[in-house]
Amino acid sequence: MNTLEIKNLHKKFPGTQAYAVRDFSLEVARGEIMALLGESGCGKTTILRMIAGFETPTRGEILLNGEVVSSDRLFVEPGKRGVGIVFQDYALFPHKTVWENICFGLFRHGREERSEKAVAIIQLAGLQGLEQRYPHQLSGGQKQRVALARALAPEPGIILFDEPFSNLDSMRKTQMREDIRDIIRKSGATAVFVTHDTRDVLAIADRVAVIRDGVNLQTGPPGEVYAHPTNPYVARFFGKTNLMRGVIAEGGYQTPIGFIPADLPLPASMKEVMLSIRPGHFEPAGEEEGCFCGRIKRRSFLGEYLEVVCAVKGPGGQETEVVIHAPPGHDCDSGICHFRYRGDRHPGVMG
Amino acid sequence: MPLPIRRYPKKARFLSNGWVLIALITSLLVALPLLVIFPEVFVSGDETWRHILHRLIPSYALNTLLLMAGVAALTFLMGVSTAWLVTLYDFPGRRFFQWALILPISIPAYILGFTWAGILDYTSPVYVFLRNHFGVDTGPYLLFNILSLPGAILVLSLSLYPYVYLITRAYFMKQSASLLEVAASLGRKPMQAFFSAALPLARPAIVAGISLALMEVLNDYGLARYYGVDTFTTGIFTAWFAFGNASAAMKLSAYLMVLVLALILLERYQRGQMRYEVVGSHYRPPGIRRLRGLRQAAALGLCLLPLLPGFIFPLSMLFHWSLQTAAQVLDIRFWELIRNSFLLALAASAVVVIVSLFIAFTVRSFPGRLVRALARIATLGYALPGAVVAIGIMVPFLWLDGRLAAAMPGLGVALSGTWFALVYAYMVRFLAVGYHSMESGMAGLSHSMDEASRSLGHTNLNTLRKVILPLMKAPVLSATLLVFIDVLKELPLTLILRPFNFDTLAIRAFEYASDERVAEAAPAALIIVLVGIVPAFLLNRMMGGKTVLHS
Repeated sequence: MNTLEIKNLHKKFPGTQAYAVRDFSLEVARGEIMALLGESGCGKTTILRMIAGFETPTRGEILLNGEVVSSDRLFVEPGKRGVGIVFQDYALFPHKTVWENICFGLFRHGREERSEKAVAIIQLAGLQGLEQRYPHQLSGGQKQRVALARALAPEPGIILFDEPFSNLDSMRKTQMREDIRDIIRKSGATAVFVTHDTRDVLAIADRVAVIRDGVNLQTGPPGEVYAHPTNPYVARFFGKTNLMRGVIAEGGYQTPIGFIPADLPLPASMKEVMLSIRPGHFEPAGEEEGCFCGRIKRRSFLGEYLEVVCAVKGPGGQETEVVIHAPPGHDCDSGICHFRYRGDRHPGVMG
Repeated sequence: MPLPIRRYPKKARFLSNGWVLIALITSLLVALPLLVIFPEVFVSGDETWRHILHRLIPSYALNTLLLMAGVAALTFLMGVSTAWLVTLYDFPGRRFFQWALILPISIPAYILGFTWAGILDYTSPVYVFLRNHFGVDTGPYLLFNILSLPGAILVLSLSLYPYVYLITRAYFMKQSASLLEVAASLGRKPMQAFFSAALPLARPAIVAGISLALMEVLNDYGLARYYGVDTFTTGIFTAWFAFGNASAAMKLSAYLMVLVLALILLERYQRGQMRYEVVGSHYRPPGIRRLRGLRQAAALGLCLLPLLPGFIFPLSMLFHWSLQTAAQVLDIRFWELIRNSFLLALAASAVVVIVSLFIAFTVRSFPGRLVRALARIATLGYALPGAVVAIGIMVPFLWLDGRLAAAMPGLGVALSGTWFALVYAYMVRFLAVGYHSMESGMAGLSHSMDEASRSLGHTNLNTLRKVILPLMKAPVLSATLLVFIDVLKELPLTLILRPFNFDTLAIRAFEYASDERVAEAAPAALIIVLVGIVPAFLLNRMMGGKTVLHS
């Protein structure tokens, strides 16, 4: 049974014309870490708030552990859903200590049981020694972990995160992602988090749903969504890519810059597709056969590689801009760049 | 862990919402006096009413309008000039005047009124001293007969100009320096910049301050009665107590309400599209110019002009008289008086704080159109003069008491003339004071805290009790204090609704003064003034820094 099931969810806020969320469906399995990815205003936070019970859907159903918690006829209050939530601003109670914050949701338990649970969760979240501190005496990362511990303490079936890493500096982020993932895994909880940062998704999510204008564009494991986007927007969202049309040919695609080899089984009905080729799928080469040649228009050094933008004249005579990655020391003085498609990579193919 | 999941059918949720129900009941309670009084406009009156209509109303209307015009002009002059001085110029004592100029607000107009009447009286210690040592003799009164319309205007203005001062000062402080610098760079001298840029820009704030002051003028009973100026409010008392004519009192109340309504609409209209804009990130506080020599003295004089006669001098006299009469006034009955007043004020402020806390939290948790409308109605009472609220509650309560007595003989008066009626009336009149404190206090708390608490399984009531309330200490305290002093000094409403033989400090002071025993009135008045200084400071802080106007 899925922990979370969302069926054809719609949300329209009063006084607005467009739907904030349109026909959104999703299934999250037990123990899975699911990411909702999208730009700000795409509706991802609204979906999260509907799961938590802070917004009522206009249409559609939400099921938790197979039980309907929100539908056209039913609405279960947030506190009765067994959902934990970690807010972007952490929402720790400033007048309560770490210990009191964590115990806040354990009021249904007896005194001893409450202590046991709190001690266990403090252990899990690595907050030992901070029990008597007040939120203002904590660092950003500590606050984050207290907020998570507080949400996990009542052992919710699912835990929701709203932009969990956006308030941390980039140095802390990497560490925090690891920590949060470990805590979620150890607690065995199912998690859904909202983010606009693909790096969060690639680092900790088991699966991701990419959302635009309230619509679920693609769902799948991050690696697969990255490699095989089904939509140009999704392809671009996961970093720089070369989008070009490809006509299916023997052993590959005929594109505006030339032939790209590929050995994927292709649906027979398709003649023309949209290709997404990451800059890293190209590499500099000599003037051998099957190579592309382009006039260098811009280049920028990005640390681990050199990003080169070149204009390639295709067989048809028209110019197409292509972004490729070259080694940092690559010689560009000639103003011409020869490069080839790496045989070990596969282009993303969209209908 | 399987939680017992309770399900709520989606439709019924709003109707069965206890929070909205409380807001609905509160707004109905507040609206009751209005609903009772307003229809009376359309009912034709009896002989007494025709007498009042033809003989008295023209002079009521004229006096009321003259009072309003005079107070508007004087509070404008006193309030705006001092606000401008203390925000943009530096002179000795500037920091002192910044807060001291608000102090006159702590002396209610009727107390200031009889204090000055006492000072200028033929037998006053000041006049006696001047007469004996300097041969000053200006007839039966020192300087002039203050018990007149001009005297009333002067006294009301002295005690009410702080409203204009506070709001205008807050506005001047918010105005970015660049505005005035632009004016300066275009060749305007500071004074010209004031008239051409600052004053027109501050107009909405100034008018808001003046209309607050005028609202108090319409509310005033004590001063007008003492100074013999017949206004609508004193007319209500005449009709109620002297003629014993409830219908006439209600009609006069209705007329007064129309006047209040006109004032509110006028203020809204002039504000038009103008909004108190929020200060952007480019805000710089206005630069402060140093004054020297004669200008320094002029600034000092201008600040002392309202402060000396509005606070320092009268307060000194109240001290003087209190010392004189303390031995004779401070008997067992006086302590009873203090206990009455303080208990009543405490009960009223507790009710106001609790009810306004509930309503503010309801608006926060269920921000719909209906709930906002209910909150608006519930805070309407601040605009209603005390006498109007009192009549609007007394009439239905007397009627109910009649019914109850008929149904259950031997019950006596259950409603009218009880503490319950008084506290209810105070709630109607002062709920807005509490609500604004709560609203701005809650605005500073992140909504995700409420949601975190709810998702952890706590009810709304527990969320309010365990999360919101502990973080609202300051707003709760300030609301308590503000309502406390408002009740302590309240006169017209208390006079009409008080239980038989029940006196408060305010009533006793007023009665002593009315019997030409100003010196005996001083101790009670002094207590009211001294307690009132605390909320005056609070207001000063609230309107000082970044706080934006409630509008």
